[in-house]
Amino acid sequence: MYFRLYCSPLSAIKNHIMHRLPRWDLLAQYGFYAFCSIAVLALQSVLFTGDAMAKPQDHTEPSVSATPTLLVAKGSVVAEPSEQPNNELIVQSNNESYAVVDVGVLAIRGYKATITRWQPLMRWLETQIPNSYFRLHPLSLDELAKGVETQELDFVITNPGQSVLLARQYSLSWLATLRSPLNHGAAMQVGSALVVRADSAYHTLSDLKGRRLGIVSTSAFGGYLTLVYEAQLKGIDLPRFVGDIVPLGFPLDNLLYQLGGRRFTAHASPNIAPNVEQATTDTSPDVSSSISANPDSTLDSDLDLNTHHQVSQADTLDAVVVPVCQLEQMQREGLIDIADYRVLDNQAPAGFHCQVSTRLYPNWSMAKTNRASQSLAKSVTQALLALPEDHLAAKAADSAGWTTAVSQLAIDQLLKDLDMHPLQTPWWHNAWLWVKSHQQWAWFVLGILVLLNVYHFWLEYRFSRRGRELLNTQRQLSENRMLLEHAQRIAIVGELGASLSHELNQPLAAIGHYCHGAEVRLQRGSTPEELQSVLTLIQQEVTRADSIISRLRNLMKKRPISKVPCFLHELIQDTTPLLAYEFERHQINIGIHITGTPYLQPLDEVGMQQLLLNLLKNAADACVQQRELMQSEAQGTGQDSATQQQRYTPTIDIELDYQQSQILLSITDNGVGLSSEASQLMQAFYSTKLEGLGLGLVICRDIVDSHSGHFKLDSAVNGGCQVQVSLPRKADGVL
Amino acid sequence: MSLELPVYLIDDDDSVRRSLRFMLESYGLNIIDFDSAEAFFSAVDLTQPGCALVDVRMPGLSGSQLHAELIAKNSPLAVIYLTGHGDVPMAVEALKLGAVDFFQKPADGAKLAEAVVKALEHAKTHYQDNQYLETYQALTPREREILKLIAQGLKNQEIADNLCIAMRTVEIHRANLMKGMQVASLAEMMLIYGRIAERLPLE
Repeated sequence: MYFRLYCSPLSAIKNHIMHRLPRWDLLAQYGFYAFCSIAVLALQSVLFTGDAMAKPQDHTEPSVSATPTLLVAKGSVVAEPSEQPNNELIVQSNNESYAVVDVGVLAIRGYKATITRWQPLMRWLETQIPNSYFRLHPLSLDELAKGVETQELDFVITNPGQSVLLARQYSLSWLATLRSPLNHGAAMQVGSALVVRADSAYHTLSDLKGRRLGIVSTSAFGGYLTLVYEAQLKGIDLPRFVGDIVPLGFPLDNLLYQLGGRRFTAHASPNIAPNVEQATTDTSPDVSSSISANPDSTLDSDLDLNTHHQVSQADTLDAVVVPVCQLEQMQREGLIDIADYRVLDNQAPAGFHCQVSTRLYPNWSMAKTNRASQSLAKSVTQALLALPEDHLAAKAADSAGWTTAVSQLAIDQLLKDLDMHPLQTPWWHNAWLWVKSHQQWAWFVLGILVLLNVYHFWLEYRFSRRGRELLNTQRQLSENRMLLEHAQRIAIVGELGASLSHELNQPLAAIGHYCHGAEVRLQRGSTPEELQSVLTLIQQEVTRADSIISRLRNLMKKRPISKVPCFLHELIQDTTPLLAYEFERHQINIGIHITGTPYLQPLDEVGMQQLLLNLLKNAADACVQQRELMQSEAQGTGQDSATQQQRYTPTIDIELDYQQSQILLSITDNGVGLSSEASQLMQAFYSTKLEGLGLGLVICRDIVDSHSGHFKLDSAVNGGCQVQVSLPRKADGVL
Repeated sequence: MSLELPVYLIDDDDSVRRSLRFMLESYGLNIIDFDSAEAFFSAVDLTQPGCALVDVRMPGLSGSQLHAELIAKNSPLAVIYLTGHGDVPMAVEALKLGAVDFFQKPADGAKLAEAVVKALEHAKTHYQDNQYLETYQALTPREREILKLIAQGLKNQEIADNLCIAMRTVEIHRANLMKGMQVASLAEMMLIYGRIAERLPLE
């Protein structure tokens, strides 16, 4: 019995251990451990190399900072150093009678184009505000932010995305918003256009899965963030959705060129790309020289504002994101043919003249910083609002003048949803600050992690060793079980000795008789031909003897358990002859009843035979006991034992029912019945018989279990005993 | 010739029965086989001489039960037991009941044939005795009395004196006796009387 108890948990462990050949969990553990070690080293190096990280990093992605936008301006009179305070000093010393006003502008299309666009506005302001000198500073996103921070600028003109970012970090007062000339002066003018080549196969954003997407910068508002937000509203995580995002930097023109449409203006060869160092040192060219530059400087802009983010020829882009109206603007400027391009998911509102893939956000706005005085701001605002729609300054800025500042709420919302709002510090930043201020805790947590890991490995090792031990034990147990089963089979054969020797003796006797008869006949002159038929008869008897012997040999040999498809009723008909003599001797009637349509079932033949022999032998013993009991009773009451015997007919019924889902085998006898509890009888080494080992029923149940069936021992209605075995049906021939 | 008498072979195992039959027929015996005692009883006239070869263990009536039935009916049939694996108590029991022989399968053909022949002789004698007994039972009480006195060696005169009858009457009875017993001589009659005497009920 003890080995049964172990079997089920053991098999579970075995499955767990043996079938998990690739130890992914372990690999993952090793990986985690390695990661932790690296993390420790990294933390160490950071914490002990001074205060390198003391200043929180600017969380606006610095990708644009790698893209110097202030490049060499051809023919600039003075190449001033980039340090703004110096700049201021120089100007003041030269022009004491003028109030110098520094205006920072986001240079989205290159230095020259920026000058061209905004210088007329500066002129207008100078004319409106006496004794003033408005100095234009075309700046990148970062430079603009830095300029505001260091109070080097009085006013800024920037796109809505940055305007919000700046407004949340620094004290800015919004004065006016640019009106669009295209759309009846609407102030909502910012958004993204997702552009593909007209001949490409993409029709919506969702077609771009895994494609290369060109953008200006990951922090660009009109060119990128609005589209990300739009995608997010559609349930698409754009940075993961597309295969590759290529930030090309300003100018925007380059994006469309990279996409691969036709270019109509002669352009400089890429080898003109200037030296980066030189580009960064040459800054802020003299404004007046810029003003005098030809407004129609698109040809130059290519030369001047060349990008060093050239995409190599092999890596063509599948789509690019440009600010709204960029496409139409360049078409108007004659740089491209808009027919070469197509805008995906166009959702421009009625009357809006540009194609746009996103909703629209407020246009560029102008704000005053802390440095500018209130009175100056007031004058500037008045001047801006007074700018006529058709004024040169308005047209140059691609606008229809200015209007009062528009609400930035929509932008606020967008930035918040994209987790980029300036008021929201990223979680890792907070975490880092916490780690910085609670170093000892960080170390403690790390130490705990390492310790837990070590502990885990130790457990894992212990577990695997334990598992192996259990497997060994299980193997031993199953070996012992096989030996025990074998021993019990031998024991049955021993118990069946008389029956078997009778069975074997019959054919041998017949052979002897035939041989002798033939011999006598030959002596008395029969011809061998006459005796031919006897040989056939002898052969039959040999076959009969042989079948009994092989049946016995099967039963007695040690063998691995193997299941082969066979009919259970054939097995029964094969097994009962082994007991025939036993039944005959005790005059026990045996009945075999088969119902249902027989089907093949994978069975352990020898095991099943052992089961049948055990059960039938038990039944026969019970019948014999019952008869003896009745005889002794009869003697006690002085009745004739013969009449008593007449009254009692020992009977064993084998009923086999082939049901749809299972095979039901029941063996019923009318013997003495159960003398103990069924559960007790099923225990190993418990026997009610004098010479019994007490293993028969245990092994029977074992065999039934190995066929995933059920074994039930019960009292029969007529006072005898009934054993029920049910075997669930398995697909024919499939083990 | 006793070999012409029927030999009844009763065994439930077909192959054993057929092989025995084949063997015994080779000795020129007249074999009639049955697969059960019941079939045997329903087909055979038990008053005729013959030999019964019976298997001890059979479903239904066993060999010994069959034998007991034969004895109860005073059948002249001689019984030889055959057994798969005989044991001594069983053999003793069988021989006590009056079995001619007891064989264990596989039986030695020659010995079995010999035993069968002996059994047939035995059966014939038994049958004859039965005949004589019947004849004896047909005699009148006075004739049986005179026969008994003759057997005691008394002369006619002594018998007459003994029974207080006339000498002549004794002579008439004696002649009737010889006729009734179907014998030609006194010596023959005495021989027969000697054979049946032991089976006669005491008077």
